[in-house]
Amino acid sequence: MIGCLRRISAVAGNTFLEAVRQKVFAVLLVFALVLIGGANYFTEFSFQEQFKFLKDLGYAAISLTGLLVGLLGAAQLIPGEIERRTILTALCRPLRRWEFVVGKYFGLTTYLALMVVIMALAVWGVLGWKEGQFLRAEGLDSETAATIRAEAMDPRLLQAVLLVGAKLAVVAALAVFFSTIATSTTFVMAMTLLVYLIGHLQSVAREQWLETGEVTRWTVRIFLAGVALLVPDFNLYNLIDEIVAGNVVVWRTTLEVLGYSGVYIGVLLAAAACMFEGRDI
Amino acid sequence: MGWFRGRVLALEGLEMEVHKGEVFGLLGPNGSGKSTAMKMILGLLRPTSGSAEVCGFRAGTIAARRQIGFLPENPYFPIFLSGAELVRYYGRLSGLGGAGLEKRVKELLELVRLGGEAGKRPLRTYSKGMLQRAGLAGALVGDPEILMLDEPTAGVDPAGSREIRDLILELKARGKTVIFSSHLLEQVEDVADRVIILHRGKKLREGRLEDLLTRKNEWEVKVQGLPEGDRQELLAWMKKKGGQVVREGAPRERLEDYFLRSLPEETRR
Repeated sequence: MIGCLRRISAVAGNTFLEAVRQKVFAVLLVFALVLIGGANYFTEFSFQEQFKFLKDLGYAAISLTGLLVGLLGAAQLIPGEIERRTILTALCRPLRRWEFVVGKYFGLTTYLALMVVIMALAVWGVLGWKEGQFLRAEGLDSETAATIRAEAMDPRLLQAVLLVGAKLAVVAALAVFFSTIATSTTFVMAMTLLVYLIGHLQSVAREQWLETGEVTRWTVRIFLAGVALLVPDFNLYNLIDEIVAGNVVVWRTTLEVLGYSGVYIGVLLAAAACMFEGRDI
Repeated sequence: MGWFRGRVLALEGLEMEVHKGEVFGLLGPNGSGKSTAMKMILGLLRPTSGSAEVCGFRAGTIAARRQIGFLPENPYFPIFLSGAELVRYYGRLSGLGGAGLEKRVKELLELVRLGGEAGKRPLRTYSKGMLQRAGLAGALVGDPEILMLDEPTAGVDPAGSREIRDLILELKARGKTVIFSSHLLEQVEDVADRVIILHRGKKLREGRLEDLLTRKNEWEVKVQGLPEGDRQELLAWMKKKGGQVVREGAPRERLEDYFLRSLPEETRR
């Protein structure tokens, strides 16, 4: 068991190190931080609107940067290693293939988690900065000051960060799955993006499938069932928008979405490991 | 091989046995199946039929792979790592860790002459010879019984090539079994105990170099300071004259000549 964990952590550590040493990811992170920081200079709106704008832009930057890094990183995970043939020197060791797949996934998600944390801290930093600017304004009554503090340091933003992280972790698991059957990085990126987009329509397919009277052709029903069961529902992560808009999202719902993400990640990694097991290198 | 591309039989009816402690050479032109045979032993490719065993374990299993250290044909290493990080990474993949691994990394880097500052440099700054030596240290980190080296001297300059040859001999002296493929036949001749010659996935010849290369119906006398002549008379004459017989026995053909002669006529050109 210790040997197994040691091997998985070795693959994960190496994947993380590779990501850290890739300049393209660092550049993407810098762009995201500049975008988040720059949002502070939009001062045309009321303080409520400015806070909402900052949160909207901040979480969009985290999502988009994380998605790009997740796609680029995951697409290179296994096809990249096969193209460079570095996989030969790893899999010829007493390392099980599923350990390699799981290690690769954890290395990438650790890097994604680090990026999300850095960007989230930047968002909170900008919100705090804005809070300071508003609180220093003259003639501020205590009620408005309390509202500003509540808007800036909203603890629900932690829920949004967790949900963004979970969404990116599911995307990375999808990309890892495709990377075990693909021979090129382009294929992995295209397929992952496609499923990501279909995932936003998954709820429509599910409703059509469950409402028996609507669709009668069995081929269409099988297709809808396939989409509903196999593709993760990415609309669930729209809770982030609710939180940013200031609406209450209970922790129970957040935890349910995190659990849903965990199950999908587990299934995708198990499928990836099965596909990779029989593959000739 | 992919959709609509058909299948290629890379190896057919290959039977071979490598004995503990010997240096075994796999010879053959490009596409003869040397690397495929190695990949099958490592479990990276699965044969459509047949089987292989490594130290009593089915080839490709974790137990079998624990017995093998592999150096690929080209330096397929993560170049963002340093030499020391590479060996450490392979050590952890082999299940090692802690102070024991650090000690082993240091020892192996010294063995392949990459100790000190050289081991801290990124692999992208290494020469081909240095990369192969780093890879060799990585192959040895799990203390395997068998070293499998695929073209270890390909693209390496003569000095680096000599270093790798010396390392193979040192490993043999330490009791390791070495299986290697090479195009440099003189080098194979220097280090291999036995060889197998493959061509288009089939075995052409196999045996001890001594047996394969010795012309038993011929005699050769190497005399220092005296001209050639009738063997018995010459020996007697030489002894009488105080000459020293350096070597007496069947003359050996160069491995390169034997190898080329083993190939079908149309592929010799």
